[in-house]
Amino acid sequence: MTSIKFFWKQDCPKCPEAKQIFNGLKEKGFKVTDYNLNTADGLAEGTYHSVLSTPTFLVIDDNEREILQWRGDVPTFEELFAVLMSHDVKPQCMC
Amino acid sequence: MRILSQTGLSLKEAQKTEKDPKIKHMPCSSFETTDLSLFVRTSEEDLTTWDRGKIVEALIRETYVDIDTADKISREVEHQIMSSRINVITAPLIREMVDAKLIEHGLERARRMHTRLGMPLYDVDQLILHHNKENANVPHGPEATNLTLAENIKKEYALLNIFTQEVADAHMRGDIHIHDLGFCDRPYCSGQSLEYVKRFGLDLPNALSIAKPAKHPEVLLAHMVKLAASLQGHFAGAIGWDAVNLFFAPYLSGLSDRDVKQLAQIMIFEFSQQAVARGGQAIFSDINIYWEVPKHFEDVPAIGPGGEYTGKTYSEYIQDAQRFAWALFDVYKEGDGSGRPFFFPKPLVHITEKFFNTQGHQDFLLHICDVASEKGNTYFVFDRGETAKISECCRLSFKLKASDLIDARYPWKMRYCALQNLTINLPRVAYNAEGDEAKLFSLLTDLMELTAEAHMQKRVFIEKLLSLGDRGPLALLTMKRDGEPYLRLQRASYLIGMVGLNEMVKIHTGKELHESKDAFMLGLKIISHMKLIADRLSKKHNMHFVLEQTPAESTSYRFAKLDLKHYAPQANDFVRGNIPTGEVYYTNSTYLNVGATINPIDRVMKEGVFHPLIEAGSLTHIWLGEAKPPKESLANFVIKVFKKTNNDQIAFSPEFTTCTECRRTARGLNPACTYCGSEKVEGITRITGYFTKISSWNKGKTGELKDRYRSGEALI
Ligand SMILES: [Zn+2]
Repeated sequence: MTSIKFFWKQDCPKCPEAKQIFNGLKEKGFKVTDYNLNTADGLAEGTYHSVLSTPTFLVIDDNEREILQWRGDVPTFEELFAVLMSHDVKPQCMC
Repeated sequence: MRILSQTGLSLKEAQKTEKDPKIKHMPCSSFETTDLSLFVRTSEEDLTTWDRGKIVEALIRETYVDIDTADKISREVEHQIMSSRINVITAPLIREMVDAKLIEHGLERARRMHTRLGMPLYDVDQLILHHNKENANVPHGPEATNLTLAENIKKEYALLNIFTQEVADAHMRGDIHIHDLGFCDRPYCSGQSLEYVKRFGLDLPNALSIAKPAKHPEVLLAHMVKLAASLQGHFAGAIGWDAVNLFFAPYLSGLSDRDVKQLAQIMIFEFSQQAVARGGQAIFSDINIYWEVPKHFEDVPAIGPGGEYTGKTYSEYIQDAQRFAWALFDVYKEGDGSGRPFFFPKPLVHITEKFFNTQGHQDFLLHICDVASEKGNTYFVFDRGETAKISECCRLSFKLKASDLIDARYPWKMRYCALQNLTINLPRVAYNAEGDEAKLFSLLTDLMELTAEAHMQKRVFIEKLLSLGDRGPLALLTMKRDGEPYLRLQRASYLIGMVGLNEMVKIHTGKELHESKDAFMLGLKIISHMKLIADRLSKKHNMHFVLEQTPAESTSYRFAKLDLKHYAPQANDFVRGNIPTGEVYYTNSTYLNVGATINPIDRVMKEGVFHPLIEAGSLTHIWLGEAKPPKESLANFVIKVFKKTNNDQIAFSPEFTTCTECRRTARGLNPACTYCGSEKVEGITRITGYFTKISSWNKGKTGELKDRYRSGEALI
């Protein structure tokens, strides 16, 4: 199952805007998880995926490959949604 | 009583004294201090007559006890001595007796203040006769013994007088390790700029003569070596030099290639043969080398002969800088007189984006890879993106911050130091957590907080020494040739290292870092946690705490030994090496199991995941064994590491056998010389961050050597 990972930090200026997108994806039923780089769990996951800037969105496939990424930049929700669709990344439940 | 003697009476001396008819025995009854013929051996090589008042004086001077208590204690001790009917007593013994009385009276704090530092006769005897293997860079000899004896006293001093009992006990138990306690009155390690010597010459406090800025390259080199030797006397660890080839360049204009090569030769021989200072210990020295002109030095006005600006910028000296870099590696490739690799200075080549955009980089990369395969010297330091770094120590590097890059306009200002190095015993945290993850993290937090305390205590002590200025012991570090003290204390880093992440994770999850994703992620979470705590503590105390991969040449051995003692039988399952032979260790820092069959690129990649969290620098070793991969494969490997991983630094380590009979050196670790068959051979390879003879290694390291997975074949 393809999953989306969202990385943010407490004092990052662009993160609140990205958080909105994260919430939007969640509402649409995508499998999204957020990671706060100010916590050990979040920093560990971020380090594992070489996240050097926030906010970052990563789309990870079943084989743990990063198939899509936005690092340090925030796309608009529409842009992001369109790219996800074009890569066949669907919400978990389309019912 | 005078200040107390260090050397007690040996049993033989004591017996001889007993039989000596000249020394009369006193009847135990009816003694008066005035007419006693009891003699006291003092540290001033004198025999003085018994004087109880000396005990009182010392107690008043050194502790807080009042005169009545002091008087009472002195009488009790006098009574005890006189009843024993001995004729000669040493001052140290009297002191011990007084200390015993202080304990009897419940005056523990006074006892601490009154304690004496020293070593048992037996230990000194062992030390003089046998090789001390705590640091493989210290040879065995009278100077080395002096060093160790002095270190032992300073160690005790530090644990009693610099650190609180809580910190000292944590060190003694092996929860943490305070490095270089024997060098407690110095900062840990430092990075220098050659520009300082170029601009100010050699004008050191307490020196007999002053040298003006060098006019010729050989003189500049002499100044560099002398300053390094002086600094070795003021720092416990490594002395690093930034951009050596670039800063030498303005002195090389017009020199022939042969002259440049000769200068390179002198530099490497001078540093590798400086085994005359500090207990015969070579200066632990690093030289940082760039093929390109680092961005932050591009437009900086160059300083040339006589300390004068040449009117050009460093960009204009790229060709001479490159000639010198090339020549240095020519010398490394040849090795010393018997073809062995040079142990020092360690060359660190910075691989950056700009490196790949600089003309001739392919050839230079092949050249340094040739040396890496042939002799192993080259360290490849990866500065990705905009970060600039200076590497100093076994693994220590300083990331340059914005303020440092402003300093780069005045490169002599770029002097850095780490004040102290502390290491946390991670496996022990896991034993204590008993499988409870919340407890694991909270215990680790407590230890991090304790290390911050220890760092602050050390800082207070060093500040005290520095405050004595040019009359104090660290006069050299207070000299202000450029308006600022040589040691810029406000810029100092405080290192927090770790040993045994791999074992910690195994104790907690049952798997090693390389055995499961969960184990690996737990390892990553632990180091992330340490990093976040270090950041938090930095803010709180306004000090720069950074994580470091401890070289742990003897620390991983010490922790393993202590855990086998205090955490048996559990520790038996996790300590690595050979328990019956005592060759035990924990895996260094965040390394994967050194014995695991992991191909080199996977190891570099996986170990590299941890590196961005470890600000003071990291390194992955590739143990080549006997294999000598072609330079082209190594070059491809290095490029791949730069582009595809987050690894900070790599080094390839071949193994050698050098023959003391025919003085030739062969590849691999062999029981006999492959040239002449002699069995008088010495194995040589990297211990942690430097090459050295295996015979000088401690047991923990020899245990690790046996386990090392040699992956050189995979690179052929
Ligand atoms: Zn031979």
